[in-house]
Amino acid sequence: MSLVPGWRRLLRLSLGKRSLERDVDNELAFHLAMREDELRRRGLAPDAARAAARERFGDAGRVRDECVRIDQRHYRATRMREWIESLVADGSYAVRALRRTPAFTTVATITLALGIGATTAMFTLVDGILLRPLPYPDADRLVRVIQSYPEKGLDTWGLSQQNVAMYHDRATGFAAFAGYRAGEVTLRAGDRPERLNVLLVTADFFRVIGVGPVMGRPFTAEEDTPGNNTALILSYGTWQNRFGANPSIIGTVVEVDGKPYHIVGVMPRGFAFPQPDVAAWVPMGLDPLRRFGYLNSGLGRLGPGVTPEHAERQTTAIMWDWARENHTAGSSSVDPSTTQMKTIVRPLHEVVTSRSARPLTVLLAAVTLILLIATANVAMLLSGRAAARQREINLRTALGATAGRVVRQLLTESVVLALLGAVAGVSIAVVAVRIFTHSTLATLPRIDEVRLDGRVLAFTLAVSVASGLAFGLLPALHAVRGQLTGDLIAGQREGTRGPSRRFNDVLVVAQLSMSVVLLIATGLVLKSFQRLTQLDLGFRPEGVTSIALALPSRINDAATLRAFVNTTLEQVRAVPGVQSASLSWALPMENSANYDGYLIEGRPVPPSGNEEQTFQIAVSPQHFKTVGIPLLMGRDFASTDDSTSANVGIVDETLARRFGGGTEALGKRIRVTGDTAWFTIIGVTGAVREQDATMPPKPHLYVSLPQVGGNRLSLAVRANGSAAVITNVRRVVAEIEPSIPLDEVRSLSSVIEGTFATRRLTRILLSGFAVAGLLLAAVGIYGVMSLNVAHRRREFGIRLAVGAEPRTLVKLVLIEGAALAAAGVVLGIAGAVVVTRWITTLLYDVSPTDPVVLRPCRSPSPRSRWRPATSRRAAPHGATH
Amino acid sequence: MADSEIDLLRSSLDLLVLKALSWGPKHGYAINEWIEGATDSVLLLEEGTLYPALHRLERRGWVASEWGVSENNRRAKFYTLTAAGRARFRTQAPVWHRHAEAITAALRRTSANPA
Repeated sequence: MSLVPGWRRLLRLSLGKRSLERDVDNELAFHLAMREDELRRRGLAPDAARAAARERFGDAGRVRDECVRIDQRHYRATRMREWIESLVADGSYAVRALRRTPAFTTVATITLALGIGATTAMFTLVDGILLRPLPYPDADRLVRVIQSYPEKGLDTWGLSQQNVAMYHDRATGFAAFAGYRAGEVTLRAGDRPERLNVLLVTADFFRVIGVGPVMGRPFTAEEDTPGNNTALILSYGTWQNRFGANPSIIGTVVEVDGKPYHIVGVMPRGFAFPQPDVAAWVPMGLDPLRRFGYLNSGLGRLGPGVTPEHAERQTTAIMWDWARENHTAGSSSVDPSTTQMKTIVRPLHEVVTSRSARPLTVLLAAVTLILLIATANVAMLLSGRAAARQREINLRTALGATAGRVVRQLLTESVVLALLGAVAGVSIAVVAVRIFTHSTLATLPRIDEVRLDGRVLAFTLAVSVASGLAFGLLPALHAVRGQLTGDLIAGQREGTRGPSRRFNDVLVVAQLSMSVVLLIATGLVLKSFQRLTQLDLGFRPEGVTSIALALPSRINDAATLRAFVNTTLEQVRAVPGVQSASLSWALPMENSANYDGYLIEGRPVPPSGNEEQTFQIAVSPQHFKTVGIPLLMGRDFASTDDSTSANVGIVDETLARRFGGGTEALGKRIRVTGDTAWFTIIGVTGAVREQDATMPPKPHLYVSLPQVGGNRLSLAVRANGSAAVITNVRRVVAEIEPSIPLDEVRSLSSVIEGTFATRRLTRILLSGFAVAGLLLAAVGIYGVMSLNVAHRRREFGIRLAVGAEPRTLVKLVLIEGAALAAAGVVLGIAGAVVVTRWITTLLYDVSPTDPVVLRPCRSPSPRSRWRPATSRRAAPHGATH
Repeated sequence: MADSEIDLLRSSLDLLVLKALSWGPKHGYAINEWIEGATDSVLLLEEGTLYPALHRLERRGWVASEWGVSENNRRAKFYTLTAAGRARFRTQAPVWHRHAEAITAALRRTSANPA
């Protein structure tokens, strides 16, 4: 009764529920017994006494239940309180212990900070880009619709305006449906003309996406008709930056492509579709009868309960019906059992993120390896430290702490350490993410949505606690087990390979193998990237600058175009420093060429719709010289090849092969299916790779610019590399035609690098991780080797005393180290073999399954306005969303 | 404060228990005997009601309990007053008196008017 009462109570309370009830029973029984005794002393018979006692007591059962209930509640509350108190006590003890060994704490914290920081930064990217839903209401109901015509070699194919109208009208699976395509316009508000990336959309677009303008209104159905689509809805950023956040912007008239447009709305801050570089939305001016121009994509909002697969089946059926209704004479009507023609309906989220999914996942896996390696390092440090604290642990056990309690104390220390590392790591991650998103490497979709928020912090917390438990558990268990061998100084005896030594060895081997996996994977990625950049693209981009020219509406016939082309080229070539210059529809890799079926004269005509496809590009003379495409046979275009002379064309080797070789091609005639004019082949050039450099080159047909026309051109300038030359060139062009905005000036090399952007990012980050992993593993090996040697000091001393050579001892240690290294390398190679398969798709990551239209640079619009006989089916072979 | 205003009877019992323990540890039976004796047998409780009160007081931290051996060598649960319990008694007893006096005065009234 005199001892610390609370202690006893704790002991009793910790005995569980059953004893609680027993206690109450005993207490009440005592009372009843006393009362019974007293009554018997007064003279009652034993039975009567018992009955009377019970009666005086009252309802014993109810009393008992109530007491048990009160006690249970008390018990629970006390236990919870005491558990928290002991946790806090453990925590503060842990902090004190860590402070006592600052060297260890610093090293461990830094190691953990690097591991956790890298993981957090990577997860921030993965979360923002891959995991978070798109920033539109109910975004998981949004799907993108495109078409596919594999028989024609078109795995992905856009929608014509007629297609857009028919899906809109007939596809009941969609609650709302709209069409869209990217475009570029020249905006003139004030004096300076400016190029804007815009998105052309049908009237229902805002209903589909679920977001409307925050000022003004969405487009009306009347504005979405041909000729009446002179309305403009600005993005918030454009409204702020270009129009100074003018509050009465609605109703303002600006000049767009030479025509007056009304600004009818401004979108909310932060809204972007599909990418943040879209500055404004304009109505498409839907013409439901327009059969050609497969440039559009569909955006649908699925109805309740409708799946993308169902929508795909429904739209495919509509597509077949349409093909049957519209099949032209000579073409076979669509047979659903044999045709592969179909629509492709995919969730919008997948469309946006799929291309980044694999590289990001690989990087996340790599960073996890880093974290594991770092954790292994800290585990080794901890086990060394635990060995040093063996005496303390033994003492505590002797004083009565249970093994579980000691383990809990040690684990608290490791978790505290992990949290320290996490705090430092998160700071690193915040900085790293900020630097990254503002750097040029950040060419990933949704990069603006990336931010380090509560979700990421929760993830970091979970990872840190898990790491803390992971690297703390085994050393803690070992420390306790070491004690159980009974000897108070057992932990200080060394020599034999105790469990802690084996543990360290395992850790080192694990670290090494993970490092090796990282290194091999990085090496493969680097090699593939190098091969990619060394691919012969077929032209020489170095030193070539591309300037986009959107011709003004005054240039609308052959004569004015020819005058413009000749004047411009003459004057640009005269600029000092310019080696050669040319005008064309598009430079290689610029994604603006025509892609159409072609026919060779004299060959049997395939059924309509089954022709092979070729790129068709109109160029000026000296184009090949400027861009660096070799002319293998025949002659280049000359200024005499204009609208007054015979139509001529130049094919590349890939197309020439269809004729049976270059010499066979010369003199033959070829035409594109969208046109009636035949072009005589006068030359053969080398092949050129487009878009994705890993794909084999596609056929190219070059035609003469003045013979075919065009209103969006690329001016290619090969110069000696100084910026002054380009400035002069721009000045010259501006003097010739002041109304052309000249903002889009790029070096061709940077365009090409742009296509590699994601790969470059992966390469750089992966290399960084591999180096970090290697460093950490090296530190790990060094640590374990020195720990081993330190443990065996006595053994070595004895060996030396009995006559061993120092050399032998060194060899002993080195051999052990080498054995560990070898084991690690072997395991690592085995692991790498497994991983390589997974990475392979990353290495040869290819894009043809990707959607048709979209980089808003230079989508071809009606090119030849003075050739009414032509009706082009144009579909640029695009790649990015 | 709340229970003294709501459950007068229960608070009375609590105060009696605290008072009973003010001379030293007692087991439940002894407390019961003391209360009966001190109230001159006017207050005859159903003896069982004492025990929930005791357990509740323990939960509030005003008494502490411990198993020991009674005067006739039986195992019994002894209760002691804690410092908090002592303080509680010191504050609550006057309040109880005030309430009791007020109720007594009200019950002695001879007229209906609360003049």
